[in-house]
Amino acid sequence: MDYRLSRDDILERLQRESQETIRTVVIDMESWLAGVESSTQLLARVLEQRDYTEAGLVQILRDAVDVNDDIYGASIALVPSQPGIQPGFAPYFFRGDDALEYADLADPDYNYQHQAWYQDAVSAGEPMWVQPYFDDGGGKVLMTTYAVPVYRRNQAGERFMYAVVTADVPLRELHDYLQRLRLGNSGFGILLSRSGTVLSGRNPANIMRHYSDTLVEEPDHNSWQEMFEAALQGQVVTRQLTCAGVPGRCVIRLGALQSTGWPVGVVYSEDEMTAPLREFEVKTALVGLATLLLMAIAVATVTRRLTRPLTALALASDRFARGDLDAPLPAVKGNDEVARLVHSFAAMQQDLKSYIADLEAATARRSRLEGELGAAREIQMAMLPQGGEATEQAGAFSLWARVLPARSVGGDLYSYFLRDRRLFFTVGDVSDKGIPAALFMARAISLVQQLAADAADPGRAMASLNDALTNSNDNCMFVTVFLGILDLDRLELRFASAGHTAPSLVRDAQVRSLEQDTGPALGLAPGLDFPVNTLQLLPGDRLAIYTDGFDEAFNQRDEMFGVNRFNDALVAGRTLPTATAGAELFTSLASYVGESPQSDDITLLLLDIGRRDSAGWQTSREFPRGPRLTGRVEAWLRQELTQQSVPEQVIGELVLVAEEIVSNVDKYAGLPNDAGVRVMAFVNPLETGIEVIDSGAEFNPLAQSRRAELGAATDDAAIGGLGLHLITALTDRQSYRRADGCNILRVTKLLEPAQE
Amino acid sequence: MDLSTTVTVDEQNSVARVALDGALNTDTAPGFEKQLFEVLEGGHQLTVLDMKDLDYISSAGLRVIFKAAKRVKAAGRRMAAANRKPHIDKVFEILKALPDMAVFANEQELDDYLDVMQQRSRQERG
Repeated sequence: MDYRLSRDDILERLQRESQETIRTVVIDMESWLAGVESSTQLLARVLEQRDYTEAGLVQILRDAVDVNDDIYGASIALVPSQPGIQPGFAPYFFRGDDALEYADLADPDYNYQHQAWYQDAVSAGEPMWVQPYFDDGGGKVLMTTYAVPVYRRNQAGERFMYAVVTADVPLRELHDYLQRLRLGNSGFGILLSRSGTVLSGRNPANIMRHYSDTLVEEPDHNSWQEMFEAALQGQVVTRQLTCAGVPGRCVIRLGALQSTGWPVGVVYSEDEMTAPLREFEVKTALVGLATLLLMAIAVATVTRRLTRPLTALALASDRFARGDLDAPLPAVKGNDEVARLVHSFAAMQQDLKSYIADLEAATARRSRLEGELGAAREIQMAMLPQGGEATEQAGAFSLWARVLPARSVGGDLYSYFLRDRRLFFTVGDVSDKGIPAALFMARAISLVQQLAADAADPGRAMASLNDALTNSNDNCMFVTVFLGILDLDRLELRFASAGHTAPSLVRDAQVRSLEQDTGPALGLAPGLDFPVNTLQLLPGDRLAIYTDGFDEAFNQRDEMFGVNRFNDALVAGRTLPTATAGAELFTSLASYVGESPQSDDITLLLLDIGRRDSAGWQTSREFPRGPRLTGRVEAWLRQELTQQSVPEQVIGELVLVAEEIVSNVDKYAGLPNDAGVRVMAFVNPLETGIEVIDSGAEFNPLAQSRRAELGAATDDAAIGGLGLHLITALTDRQSYRRADGCNILRVTKLLEPAQE
Repeated sequence: MDLSTTVTVDEQNSVARVALDGALNTDTAPGFEKQLFEVLEGGHQLTVLDMKDLDYISSAGLRVIFKAAKRVKAAGRRMAAANRKPHIDKVFEILKALPDMAVFANEQELDDYLDVMQQRSRQERG
């Protein structure tokens, strides 16, 4: 703002100065010329009124020139038409080098009457400035002349022109005046005559030439013409044109002198005129730049002083982030924000160091504990059959079990073993979890394996397990147990429950939780009884025994997985093999609980009762004694077993065994002739066999029959007693019982597992 | 299942060959016993039981063979079994029957045996 104001001020001042200069010069010139005019008119008036002799004229002329410094030279040229003034009279005085000099203009070589200045003045008849000219009559200089006609009246009172009084002004002096109009280096003043002759200009050599020949560039001719004419009419005009010798924008200002009417003006370069302004601008700019530079340096210095600690702090924090907690912090003084930040950082560094040290110690302790727990887990899992996840295939029976502890170690257990065609299996859940539960579980599982191994009755086995666990159980830990014994021949399950979750049974694509009579959990009080539940299983059944970690698992909305959801998942996977189905159940549970932590140990045991189509089949027929008894038995048995897809070789051997038994009965049982022999054939997933039933005298061939001694040479070989050898050799099990007045001999052959 | 037997006699070598086809069981044993003992009446040096087509044998059938073997041995002659099927073999094995009776796994063994027998008889005659 200030700068703009200053610029305008300067511009205004420059204009005012240039106008002042012009006015001063013009006024001086005007007053000079006015002085010349008035001096000349005074002389003319004197001559109007008074007669002088020629000598008197010369004297008065001389005095006039001498007195008026403004006048270069003057003459009194008498008009020769008057009587007695032939050939004329025209004295002329002018300023010589050091004194006034005289010349006679009437000299025939000059003859003023032929000169333009004289003729013009006479023809004008009134005062006038004549066109500039070179005077060779006296002064020998370029000059212009003010001429005033002098009139007198004759006796008749007629007015006649007596003389022309002149005063000369040398153009050189005018030029000197104009030289004061120097504007800038290349500016100059100009003075023109009314006809356009240059009276003064930049170059004295151009004086007396027409302005259009010297000043004007060709394209600007019209512009100059317009300006010139306007100036002649007394107007002041200003134009910008291109001018020779004037750099930049050339300004021409033209007016006219009042006295002579000569156009006068200045030509100058606006650029030069405004140079001081530009200088001012440049100075201002320089000062501004310098100020900016100083400020920038100052700001940079201050900023660097402020940010140097911050930069160092950033580097230090990067090293912190990489774990180098000993990275040095920048030294700071004072108590500004940066200093406080650095102090805070230092405090944080210390805190972080001690925190990490604590953390390392805690981590070390924790990893030691975890290592111990990991070892404990391995030991615990090793107590479970097949280390926590068991797959067992016995004929068509398939068993799968898995324990998933909630922590490293847990209190769930399972166990099973097969003895004497009985599958003993158990699942248990110790109260609580973690290490105490795991230790109690260890006790429980070793007792289970000791006591149950030779227990035939699940109720009694449970009772003795309870007594053993109650002993020295001051912590009052307890365990819920399911304990089942499955007769693989009859598919009869007898089980006892010590407060354990009811097992689920899948049969014919339906699932149900078994109803069970249950006793209390084990370990709390000795001498308790546990009811025995009996369940007839069928081929194709799947039994699931699990701990409450399964159904009581919670998802993130605190909803329980529940028995129904468990049963649904169980029946959904019924066609899968036990191992796959069991893993699927765990997966279903895991996706249900989502991110929720496992709250309890989870155990699942699945038991499949085969799925052979012919499983559980049996048939029987009564064969009357008589011819071809064994042939009839053989034919029937062969046909029936073939229909049940029993392997050919097994059929052949069973047929042989049947013949041996039947023929033996036929011969030795002492049956009446009209009696018969009943043969029952059976096939289940695991085995096939026959029972031969006769109503003869009680006789156990397995114990009482004579057996031939084998391996004798032909001479000594016993002819009879071979059949029993064949019976025992070709079947896996043989049993005899007497029931309802009949001898029942049962023989069984095991089958290879069915190919599913 | 029935049993049929085919008897071929090589008088030159004094070999009777009894081929069994079917089942030798309680029902068929008596009939076979009668047939076999008729063959034994011929007094051939060697009686071969060809079991190539015998599908089944029970202790009743073995008893017949035992009795026949005893008689042949008592008369200073020989009896052999040939071409026993595996399950027939198994029955013999179970009963450890006739450990001193010659057993030929196939026709080739039987032929070799017969060749040896022939040479021996020529030497004896010569």
